[in-house]
Amino acid sequence: MDDTTIAAHVDAAAALLGLPLAPEHRPGVLMYFALAAAMAEQVNGLTLTVHDESGSHFVPVSPGGAA
Amino acid sequence: MSAATLLNGPAHAMAAALRRRELSASALVEASLARIDATDGRVNAFTHRSADRALARAAALDALLAAGDAATQALPLLGVPFAVKNLFDIEGIATLAGSKIERDAAPAVRDGLLVRRMEEAGAVLVGALNMDEYAYGFTTENSHEGPTRNPHDLSRISGGSSGGSAAAVAAGQVPLTLGSDTNGSIRVPSSLCGVFGLKPTFGRLPRSGSYPFVASLDHLGPFGRDACDLALAYDALQGFDAGDPGCVARPHEAAASTLDDAARMTRKLRIGILGGWFHDLALPEARSAVAAVAAALGATQRVEWPEVARGRAAAFLITNAEGAALHLPDLKTRAQDFEPLSRDRFLAGALLPAPWVQQAQRVRHWFARQAARSFEDFDLLLAPATPCVAPAIGTEWLDLNGQRLPARPSLGLLAQPVSCIGLPVCTVPVWNGSLPVGVQLVAAPWREDRVLAAAQVLQAAGVARSPVAALA
Repeated sequence: MDDTTIAAHVDAAAALLGLPLAPEHRPGVLMYFALAAAMAEQVNGLTLTVHDESGSHFVPVSPGGAA
Repeated sequence: MSAATLLNGPAHAMAAALRRRELSASALVEASLARIDATDGRVNAFTHRSADRALARAAALDALLAAGDAATQALPLLGVPFAVKNLFDIEGIATLAGSKIERDAAPAVRDGLLVRRMEEAGAVLVGALNMDEYAYGFTTENSHEGPTRNPHDLSRISGGSSGGSAAAVAAGQVPLTLGSDTNGSIRVPSSLCGVFGLKPTFGRLPRSGSYPFVASLDHLGPFGRDACDLALAYDALQGFDAGDPGCVARPHEAAASTLDDAARMTRKLRIGILGGWFHDLALPEARSAVAAVAAALGATQRVEWPEVARGRAAAFLITNAEGAALHLPDLKTRAQDFEPLSRDRFLAGALLPAPWVQQAQRVRHWFARQAARSFEDFDLLLAPATPCVAPAIGTEWLDLNGQRLPARPSLGLLAQPVSCIGLPVCTVPVWNGSLPVGVQLVAAPWREDRVLAAAQVLQAAGVARSPVAALA
């Protein structure tokens, strides 16, 4: 993902979320988004099947089990 | 033996001395508070001191002992002063989680569950400890509270995010503390401050009454200067709680009582040395610490997990996205109040595309299955906890065998892949000259007994040790 694409995504996604990016914060945000994009390349580079499950796991709550 | 001398030793010796009525709980707590007063101006481990509460609690214990109360006599952590990372709820004060923002929060109405369990085991809470804001960091260079300094060299970091928890133990302020570990936040400061730290299996200890960071990855656990102390605290902390949806309903599996047999138990273990990523990104001092532990345990075989970089990347993305989503309302309205060292990372994390994060969760599960295969042939795996000894405060870059990497996120490089898949780890301190570096003892899920037994053996052999810093 190139710098222009990253900047376009960051600005559009921030606007969509209503997340203001102060001018002094934006360079750091772009740098860290680029780092995350490099991490995403790593995870997306692993071929998985549709049967490879998520590491997130939901446990239904039984009556009386809510804290 | 005086209370001040006893404070430099293990917690189990303190409890034993109290049982023998050689001193009072009040004297021990007063010694702890005095040590904090004398040293914390330099270390900066504490953000809150609960002196009145601690003295009242100690006096109550003394009264019960004077009355011959057998249940009090039998408490495993009788009169032992302890402190907790300031993300644990403490009744009557706001739970800061290292932040400025939470200073506006209402005071906690009761102690967090693990704080209560420590006190039910006889321990006495003396205060709350510094950390990286919202646990997002590996250095405890907290801009709001100031950095927690490494007691063994005050110019260096303590590690993080549970830096105060490790430093308070290394400074001899308390013998036991609690912290949290999402990507290495128990193991990194244990390594850099030269203390023992236990990150139990993901889901083992309930997180009820603590400030979350990344629910998918958050673990809680104890720090100490002695393997047996760690096991006593771990035993006191165990037990299912429905208040934490991530807590697994396991039976209480006592570890401390098995340590008498630690040498025999450890001799039977098939022990391997993690190579690849865990070797390539370690500097000579970390490699030699692993070699010393391997030699002491008779381990010679190398093991390689596949795709460790992808496992670490999965942890990075899950952390970045979940942590940011948790704080999105404040990021929208008061970003300027966040820790400058992690604010931009949080902001970026709020913007990650959902497929990246979902793929990271799937890679996490895939990676866990690959790592599980290694435990068909081995019972215990060794790896460095950090790539190096503690860097100087303010260090921006690390040179790891030719790779120039940003220091703050990279200190957890060797810890992150292990917590990503929830394995139990005891970090043991090994010394390289005047500074320590930790070695991770990693076992299959739910085998905390094995990592603690090996830690006990290494301590008995003098390979792992956790001296109180001189702080002259």
